[in-house]
Amino acid sequence: MTGPGGHADTSYLLDASGPAAPPRDNGELTFAAPWESQAFGLALALHEAGRFDWEDFRRRLIAEIGSWEASHPSGEAWSYYGCWLSALERLVSERGLVGGDDLRDRAAMIAARPPDHGAPSQGPPGHRHDHPQDMAPAPSGASHAD
Amino acid sequence: MDGIHDMGGMQGFGRTMSARADPPFAEPWEGKAFALGLLAIRASGTNLHAFRHAINRVPPAEYLSGYFDRWLMGAQNLLADSGIVSDDEVAARAARLSGREAEEPPPPEPHKPEMTSGGPGNLRSLGTPPAFAVGDAVRTRDLDPAGHTRLPRYVRRRTGTVTAILPAQVFPDSAAHFLGEDPQHVYAVEFASDELWGPGAEPFSLTIDLYEPYLEPTS
Amino acid sequence: MTAAQEHLDPALRVEALTSLLTERGLVDPATVENFIKTYEQSVGPMNGAKVVARAWTDPEYRARLLADGTAAIAELGYKGPQGEHIVALENTPSLHNVVVCTLCSCYPWPVLGLPPSWYKDPAYRSRVVREPRQVLAEFGLYLEPDVQVRVFDSSSEVRYMVLPERPPRTDDLSEDELAALVTRDSMVGVARVSEPARLKGAPQASGETP
Repeated sequence: MTGPGGHADTSYLLDASGPAAPPRDNGELTFAAPWESQAFGLALALHEAGRFDWEDFRRRLIAEIGSWEASHPSGEAWSYYGCWLSALERLVSERGLVGGDDLRDRAAMIAARPPDHGAPSQGPPGHRHDHPQDMAPAPSGASHAD
Repeated sequence: MDGIHDMGGMQGFGRTMSARADPPFAEPWEGKAFALGLLAIRASGTNLHAFRHAINRVPPAEYLSGYFDRWLMGAQNLLADSGIVSDDEVAARAARLSGREAEEPPPPEPHKPEMTSGGPGNLRSLGTPPAFAVGDAVRTRDLDPAGHTRLPRYVRRRTGTVTAILPAQVFPDSAAHFLGEDPQHVYAVEFASDELWGPGAEPFSLTIDLYEPYLEPTS
Repeated sequence: MTAAQEHLDPALRVEALTSLLTERGLVDPATVENFIKTYEQSVGPMNGAKVVARAWTDPEYRARLLADGTAAIAELGYKGPQGEHIVALENTPSLHNVVVCTLCSCYPWPVLGLPPSWYKDPAYRSRVVREPRQVLAEFGLYLEPDVQVRVFDSSSEVRYMVLPERPPRTDDLSEDELAALVTRDSMVGVARVSEPARLKGAPQASGETP
C-alpha cells in the first residue's frame, strides 16, 4: 500500500474513534506541541522500519490509557500523546532497542546542554538539531518524499 | 430498529455546523472507559454491522448529547451482548473508581457469537442474477425492523428507479445479529424529491444504496 | 522506564529516544519527518485532491475513474478500510452531487481521511436529504435553479466521492498546483473548488486548505 510520497499510507493504522484514537479537529490530526508530532512520527517510522507490529504498540497504548485512567495523580491533565510516548518507551525497552538507563542518561545529557542551544524539540517540524558529538549522521533517506 | 440513528428527514436540528471542531479528548471518562474500546470489540467476536447496531442502541439522549463517545458506548453494548463484561460490572467498577462503595457482581459467562465469514470485507459474489436491472421501477418495502437494517424510514414505501447495480454485499440485517452473512445484490435507487417529501419539496433527486430484500417490483 | 523518568519533560524524552534510535540505525529521522509533514498537511483529503487533479489533467484517467473508482484511486496508491468500492460522482455545470450517510457517518476514508464534525452532525445528516439546496446555501454554495442536485445516501459499503468541476482560468497550473486548490468540502459536495487568487496578473496557486 505505497502512496506517491514513497512510503506506505499508514493512516489505516490509526484508530478512527474510541479511547485509542488520536485527537482530531474536524477529522484532521492535531498536535498541541512539536514533541507530540515527533512522538507520533517516531512510532510510525519505527513501525515502518519493521521494529514492531502495530498491534503490539496499540495494545500498550490502550494499557497506558487504562492505567492513567485508573491511577493518575489528581489534577493531572489528560495527554493522549503522553500515553503514546510512555507506550513507545516501554515497547522499545522491551524489544531491547533502547534501555531505560540509556534513555535516562541521554535525557540528562540533553538537559545539560547550554541554554543557547534552545530547548529540545522546540523548533518547527523539519528542524533538526544536529550535534556531531552525540548523534550519528542520518543515513540518506531512501524514503524521503516530495 | 427505528432508532434515533435513523435521522434522514428529521426536523428540528437547526443549522448545519460548518467548521465546528471535534470534542476535545480532555474529558475525564467515567467508568464506561473501563470497557476500553476496540480491543473489547474484537474480544466480543463482533463485525462491523453488529457494531453499528450496538451504537444505534445507545439511548437517544446519550446518542445525541456527544457527552459520551457513542462508539465507546456501542463497544460496551457488544461486551455485554457477548457476556464478556456486564453493564452491572461496569457500573460497580465506576462507582468504586469514584470512591464509592459498590459490590462487583461476578463476571458473566462469555458467549462469543460464531458466524462463518465468507472472506475479507463485505463484497461478495453471488451465483444468482440480480432481480432488477438498471432502469427498472422498484418500490421499497414497508419494513418493521426489530433489529438492524439499512433501509431508513424516509425511503420506505416509495417508488424509485434503479440507476446502478452495485457489488453484492454481506446483508447487514442478518450479519448484525450473527445469523449469517446472507449476501444480497445491492442497487443504487434514485427517488424524486417530491416522492419522498411531497409536492412542496425542493427539486432534487435522492439516490440510496438498497439491498435486494428491501425492494419489490412496482407491478 | 522508571516512574521518576516519566515525570521528565516529554520533549526531553522524545529527543532522547529519537537520538538514541537514530544513532543505532534503528530509525531514519528523514522517515520520522516525512510522517510528521504528511499528517500535519491533512493526509486524508490530500489523497482525494490528487485523484481530482489527475482526473482534471488526464482525460483517460478521468474516464477510468468514472468507470471504476476503486481501481483508479488504487492506481495512485490509495486503498484501505471504508474503501472497498468507491464511486466517483462527476459534477458538471448542470449537475451537482452531494454525499451523506444519514444512518451513521460512512465516509470514503482512503481518499478523504476521517469525516469532519459537521458531516457526522445530526443537522447535516437529517437535512441534506430533505432540503439540500438550503443546506448548501448555509455552506455558502448557491446553485442556480437549472442545476440538477443529486444527493447520495451511503447506506451500503459503497463509498462516494465527488469529482468537482475544474475552476476556470487554471490552464497554466501544474497537477500539484491544481491539487492544492481541491478542498475536502468540494469532494463531499458542499462546496465548489475556488479559482486561485491572482496577484498583479501573475499566476499564483492558492485556495482554501483542505
